[in-house]
Amino acid sequence: MHKIADVEVQHDIMVANRKLARKNQKILDKDQVFSVDVVGAIGSGKTSLIEALIDAMNYKIGVIAGDVISKYDAGRFEKHNVPVVGLNTGKECHLDAHLVEHALHDMPLEEIDILFIENVGNLICPVDFDLGSHMRMAVISVTEGDDTVEKHPLIFQDSDLVVINKVDLASAVGVDSDKMVNDVKHINPEIQVIKTSLKTGLGFDEVIKAIDLYISGH
Amino acid sequence: MHELSMAQAIVDTIMDAAEKNNAEEILEVTIEIGMLTMLNPEQLKFLLDVLAEGTLLENAKIIIEDVPVEINCRKCQYTGLANTDGSDHYLAIVLCPQCGGRDVETLTGKECSVKNIKIEKSDEDA
Ligand SMILES: Nc1nc2c(ncn2[C@@H]2O[C@H](COP(=O)(O)OP(=O)(O)OP(=O)(O)O)[C@@H](O)[C@H]2O)c(=O)[nH]1
Ligand SMILES: [Mg+2]
Ligand SMILES: [Zn+2]
Ligand SMILES: [Zn+2]
Repeated sequence: MHKIADVEVQHDIMVANRKLARKNQKILDKDQVFSVDVVGAIGSGKTSLIEALIDAMNYKIGVIAGDVISKYDAGRFEKHNVPVVGLNTGKECHLDAHLVEHALHDMPLEEIDILFIENVGNLICPVDFDLGSHMRMAVISVTEGDDTVEKHPLIFQDSDLVVINKVDLASAVGVDSDKMVNDVKHINPEIQVIKTSLKTGLGFDEVIKAIDLYISGH
Repeated sequence: MHELSMAQAIVDTIMDAAEKNNAEEILEVTIEIGMLTMLNPEQLKFLLDVLAEGTLLENAKIIIEDVPVEINCRKCQYTGLANTDGSDHYLAIVLCPQCGGRDVETLTGKECSVKNIKIEKSDEDA
């Protein structure tokens, strides 16, 4: 004899990730590490910005570098003599809390003050996955075109600071960087948006100030 | 997109629940996908069918329910369904239908959840 049964499951995969993210934050808080999830488009300057911050900030910094296939970015960070854990995400388009938890085990948390997590270059997928960081910084650049923000609103709704990089190239690529700023403000009125050029140094000090402010308010 | 890894996580969740309940076959599963997730339900359905092959899930009916976006507006205190600009899963911009504001807290719409499964099992272990 067979019978048919209805089984309530009510298991949300997103909630499972968020739970892991909260656990990550507890691990970070235990060692008083402030963590920044750096998201953004491919090639927008995430690695370059983190490298510059490592050299300029008066904090001990560690980096988790998420890379789709290579450990190329991890190698760049290592040259700055900071602890680096490379995460190969394989085919994945984003980091998730579980991957970060593994990386945290390999990171000497007691030796650092700030942990930057470079997410996979992608404006869509990381939105769904909290990592447990205290702050999310989105880095885009003018070379993606000035409709990038409109096309990917959610990532800007979920971020705490937006950097619009490579403004030195704006006129060369015919892009109105102010439109990008306004588009972000339209989606997220409270958020701070900073135009930068890592080539000329424009706006870089403001980014440091914004992160410092966030840390002290934290 | 990450539909494949999500589909795998969904299948793992279903199989786990099926095993715990000594299922011999899974007849039906209901999955909820929030309108604000970056998941395309059609692609997800396709991948679930692929992953189901050769498992207890093979012949199950897979039902995917969209979960609409509910918000709480911080500006005018409206609580209820959001105006999502008529846009699809990828691009939903969340607006308050009452004041048009964007300073909103999302209450629902981010789900990717296995709600329930209907299974067949032998009577003895009931
Ligand atoms: N002109 C100009 N080039 C820049 C600027 N910032 C970064 N670049 C260059 O842009 C390229 C990509 O920079 P990365 O820092 O590797 O970008 P990324 O976001 O880490 O890239 P992925 O990790 O591959 O997604 C490099 O060649 C940088 O030198 C800038 O402000 N202006
Ligand atoms: Mg990089
Ligand atoms: Zn994805
Ligand atoms: Zn409102």
